[in-house]
Amino acid sequence: MKKLAITWACVLLAALAAIPAFAHHGTAGYDLEKVVTVKGTVEDFEWTNPHAVVRILAKNEKGENEEWTIELGAPGIMARSGWSKNSMKQGDEVIAETHPAKNGVPSGLSATSTILLKFIVNGQALPSAH
Amino acid sequence: MKNLIRCGVLALAATAAFQVGLEAQSGATTAKSAAVPDLSGYWNIKGGAPSWDPADLAGKSPKNAPMTPWSRQKFEAARPPFGANATFESVNDPVQKYCDPPGVTRLYQYPYEFLFVQTPDTVYILYEFSRVWRLIPLNKEHPKDPDSTWMGDSVGRYEDGALVIDTIGFNDKTWLDQVGHPHSDALHLVERLRRVDKDTLELELTIDDPKAYTKPLTAKRTFTRSASPPTEALCSASEMQAFQNQVMTPTVKAPKK
Repeated sequence: MKKLAITWACVLLAALAAIPAFAHHGTAGYDLEKVVTVKGTVEDFEWTNPHAVVRILAKNEKGENEEWTIELGAPGIMARSGWSKNSMKQGDEVIAETHPAKNGVPSGLSATSTILLKFIVNGQALPSAH
Repeated sequence: MKNLIRCGVLALAATAAFQVGLEAQSGATTAKSAAVPDLSGYWNIKGGAPSWDPADLAGKSPKNAPMTPWSRQKFEAARPPFGANATFESVNDPVQKYCDPPGVTRLYQYPYEFLFVQTPDTVYILYEFSRVWRLIPLNKEHPKDPDSTWMGDSVGRYEDGALVIDTIGFNDKTWLDQVGHPHSDALHLVERLRRVDKDTLELELTIDDPKAYTKPLTAKRTFTRSASPPTEALCSASEMQAFQNQVMTPTVKAPKK
C-alpha cells in the first residue's frame, strides 16, 4: 500500500484573496490566504448541485487517517472548465490543493467560479483554470 | 455626370425613407430609434461585484449604502454570503436557506448564464441559476395595480439599440444583492441591456426604491458571450440543506485546539 501523506504548504495568495469568489454561499469559512496540499485516495466524489464535493482519505501529521471534505464549484461551472462526473472516482490516488477551513477541521475549498486549484488524479492533472 | 446626380438623388431618397421608417417604428412622440438589437447568445455572468451600491460594488462597506431607517434595520439582521459581513453561521439568506427565487437584481450576480428569446411582441429571458424565466411584453403599459410578486411586472421596449425593461410590482422577500441589502415592495427597476460588441453585453441598472434608499442607485455590469449552453443549475432545497450540514456547518464549529 502506497504511503499516504498530507503535505502542508502554506502559500500567501493575496492576489487570489482579493478576488470575490462567487458561488451561492461565499468563502467565509475558508482561509483564502493559505493553500494546503492533500494527498490520499478518493473515498467519494459527488457531482451535484449546489457544489461538487470530493472526500479524500489521507494521513495527518501524526500518521492517523483523516477524511478531508473538499468543496468544488457547481457542476455546470466546473464542466465549462473541462471537469466531468468522471474526473475522479472512489479509489483514485489524488493530490489536491485546497484553501483550508479557518477552524482547522479537515475541510477545504478548491474551486469556485473564479478559483480552480491544482488536482492531480492518478498522475494526470485535471484542468486548473477557469 | 447625369448618372452621378441620379445616383446622389436616389441615395438621398433612400436615406430619407429609412429615417421615416425608423421614426414610424419609434412612435410619434419620440425620435429615439426602436431598431431591434440582436441579443442572441449565451451571456455569462462572471464573478464580480456582489453589491449594487455604485459607491461600493465590491461590498467592502455595505453599511454605507444610502439606506432609509426601514432598510437599515433589515440590513443589520441579514447574514449574507458575500461582502464585509459574509458568514457561514446562522445563514438567513432566503436563497441559501429556502431556495427562494433570487429576484431580478440578484440574478445578475450569480456566476451563471442567461439568454434572450426575442419575438415581435414579447421578450423572454431565461436564467440558468434556479432556472427562472421572465416574460416581458413589448410596448405595453403596466397594469394599474399589479400584484406583488417575486419577479415583478415587467414591460419592455427597444430604444437606441438597447432593450429597456421597466419592472414594478415586487414583493419584499428577496434581497437586492449578495451583501444583504434589502428592497421594498416600492422597488422600481429599469434595466437597459445592449450589445457593446459581438461578445459583450452591457447592463445598466437603475434601482429606485424610495422606501429603502434615499436616492436611486445606478450601476453597470458587462457579460461575455459563452460557447457552452446553460446547465441544470436548479436550486434544490434538499441538496442545499445537505450541503449546508455536511460541508458548510463543520467549518464554523469551534476551532480545533
